[in-house]
Amino acid sequence: MKRRHLIIAPAILTAVFWGGAGFAQDKVLRFATWDSDESLAIQEAIARKFEEANPGVKVQVEAYGDGYDDKLTAAMGAGDPPDVMYMWNYPSYYQALMPMDDMIARDGEAMNLADIPPGLMNGAVIEGKTYAMPVGFTTHVIFYNKDLLAAAGVAEPAAGWTWADLRAAAAKLSNPGEKTYGFAVDAKPDPFDFEQFFWSNGAQYISDDGKTLDGVMNSPEAAEVLTMFADMVKSGEAIALNIGDETSGSSLFKTGKLAMLEGAMWNKGGIDESGVNYGVAVLPAFGDKPVKSTINASGISIAKDADDPELAWEFVKFFSSPEAVAMRTNDLPIRNSVAESSGKTTDPKFAPFFAMLASGDGTTPAFLKNAEWGRIQENLAVAIEGTMIDQGNAQAHLDEAVAASARFLK
Amino acid sequence: MATAPATPRPSRRKARGAGITPWLFISPWILGFLFFTLGPLVFSFVMSLHDWPIVGTREFIGLENYRTMLQDDPQFWKSLWITVKFAGLFVPLNIVLSFLLAVLLNLNLRGTAIYRTAFYLPSVISGVALVTIWSWIYSNEYGLLNYLLSFVGIDGPNWLGDRTWGIVAITVASLWGLGGSMLIFLAGLQSIPKELYEAARVSGVPPWAQIIYITLPMLSPMILFTLITSIISAFQQLTIALLLTDGGPVNSTYFFAMYIYKTAFRFHDMGYAAAMSWVMFLIILILSMLVMRWSAAWVYYEGQARKDDADA
Repeated sequence: MKRRHLIIAPAILTAVFWGGAGFAQDKVLRFATWDSDESLAIQEAIARKFEEANPGVKVQVEAYGDGYDDKLTAAMGAGDPPDVMYMWNYPSYYQALMPMDDMIARDGEAMNLADIPPGLMNGAVIEGKTYAMPVGFTTHVIFYNKDLLAAAGVAEPAAGWTWADLRAAAAKLSNPGEKTYGFAVDAKPDPFDFEQFFWSNGAQYISDDGKTLDGVMNSPEAAEVLTMFADMVKSGEAIALNIGDETSGSSLFKTGKLAMLEGAMWNKGGIDESGVNYGVAVLPAFGDKPVKSTINASGISIAKDADDPELAWEFVKFFSSPEAVAMRTNDLPIRNSVAESSGKTTDPKFAPFFAMLASGDGTTPAFLKNAEWGRIQENLAVAIEGTMIDQGNAQAHLDEAVAASARFLK
Repeated sequence: MATAPATPRPSRRKARGAGITPWLFISPWILGFLFFTLGPLVFSFVMSLHDWPIVGTREFIGLENYRTMLQDDPQFWKSLWITVKFAGLFVPLNIVLSFLLAVLLNLNLRGTAIYRTAFYLPSVISGVALVTIWSWIYSNEYGLLNYLLSFVGIDGPNWLGDRTWGIVAITVASLWGLGGSMLIFLAGLQSIPKELYEAARVSGVPPWAQIIYITLPMLSPMILFTLITSIISAFQQLTIALLLTDGGPVNSTYFFAMYIYKTAFRFHDMGYAAAMSWVMFLIILILSMLVMRWSAAWVYYEGQARKDDADA
């Protein structure tokens, strides 16, 4: 009773604020997302569908945008997290999230986990408990401008191509005098995405037990990856991005200034709109080593202290249902059945994404291996950036990153 | 007998009433200070003695955060040094430039009002908009600055992509907001009695000597104020660096305040971030106290009899 008394004042204020309508008769479910624009609109549409199916429920979509982590952190620190939220960084947040295993088991038939590639579920499992359901994902591919390739007499990339092939093509496609480039190397990539190049060259950031960096992050294979990208910049085959300039690779690609772009689903919508005549290829391999792609999977989690866990679970269930998955056209369907029925697995502009998904097996991103990865990653990012600015010196930069990170391994 | 002791009682009550009333009047400020300044201050100190993640369990660890900072964390010292370098560039330039602008505006030439507005305008622009403008100016590929420099035959550096120039670029962008201190100096200049200059002119004191012996001493309280506020804002520099370079290139602009911010909101280590905030607070406090003590030697307050004057 006392608690009810306390909430009366804010409740009245809230009611006034929302125009006095719908006075407390709706159950409100707070749902936080990092997406904006079209992706946000899609999620809002899914939320509306859920409201239609559940009269008396209102889904309050909270779009935190770029400041997602800041706002989520602040909300959790204040003990007022959203009920359901977008999630990827499980090691940092799992203690504030609700394990879903019981609910998944209970609704096993509706969830039909066999329909979801296991690679998309694994990231959300901490100490044997599942903290999220995947809702969408993307792998990484190479977008190429068909017209530029044809004009330069360069053959279109084929499955099984290598970085040597890409570099040879880029050398022919680059014309710095006209500010057109064969490829773009990001000096400040998200290290999470960048590990795919380490994996593809038989390296990784940190040992599987999360305790060793020396000889791993700075292995010869690791240095080779950085050196290769630095060489591409030095030779003029590629333009370096994010060195004192905010021009993005996708904007260059969309304006026909860039022939090949390493990217993901988040680039595709814009490229489609730009009208560039493009194709999609799998990532190139380092020689005959198996090529790997990072998998960026978004999941949704339930807050440990959600007001109404059952309602939150219903929402999660709906979000990963075939119906909702089919509505998400801005990333890739997490359900095999939806992928196939939509025809995407055979569409040449989508098929490479699925090919890369299959290649991603057997790789564990570094942040799942060490709780202090966020800090180690800062040093790694400096090593990558330093190598691209110096156009070389990869080994020294990586050694430095390993030395600076040693204190986080204790 | 019965009336005598009764007399003082009402007056005592009245005195008590008078004691409360002023407190009631300033209570909004007092409550605000207690809840929004002192409260968080004390709370953050308590936090700094803990291993305090955003989620999960808190653990009391005493002074461990402070020990880590001083002994184990090279980034702490690097960030502190970057901040000191920035303060070394920003503080003197901010004072000298805003003083010079104020002197120019005080000449009462034609169009002064326009210039005054123009110089002050950047101060009212929000940090984010300011950074957007400067990132266009500095851009390596399409930047305005290097384009202009090319006219005079200078091949400009990659302002935001070069380890040496990054901090210079941030200093210049920060100086753009010097309108506030310029206004303070201008107000100070206009409050200097004209008679002082007239007397000097009559006695044949040249203009440069008038500035040194009249203007500067009369402005010294404003210089002190600007000095202290500049030091504080230099140490707290975050917005421009975060948005313009995000600490780069290669951590060359990884300011102390940015390290605190990232420790709290990226690495979720609230305890360590709070401890570093306290170190920043102490540094600013000590610097301000040193400046205040030193100021006795050169700040002149009107109406204050200087000791040597009194001795003379």
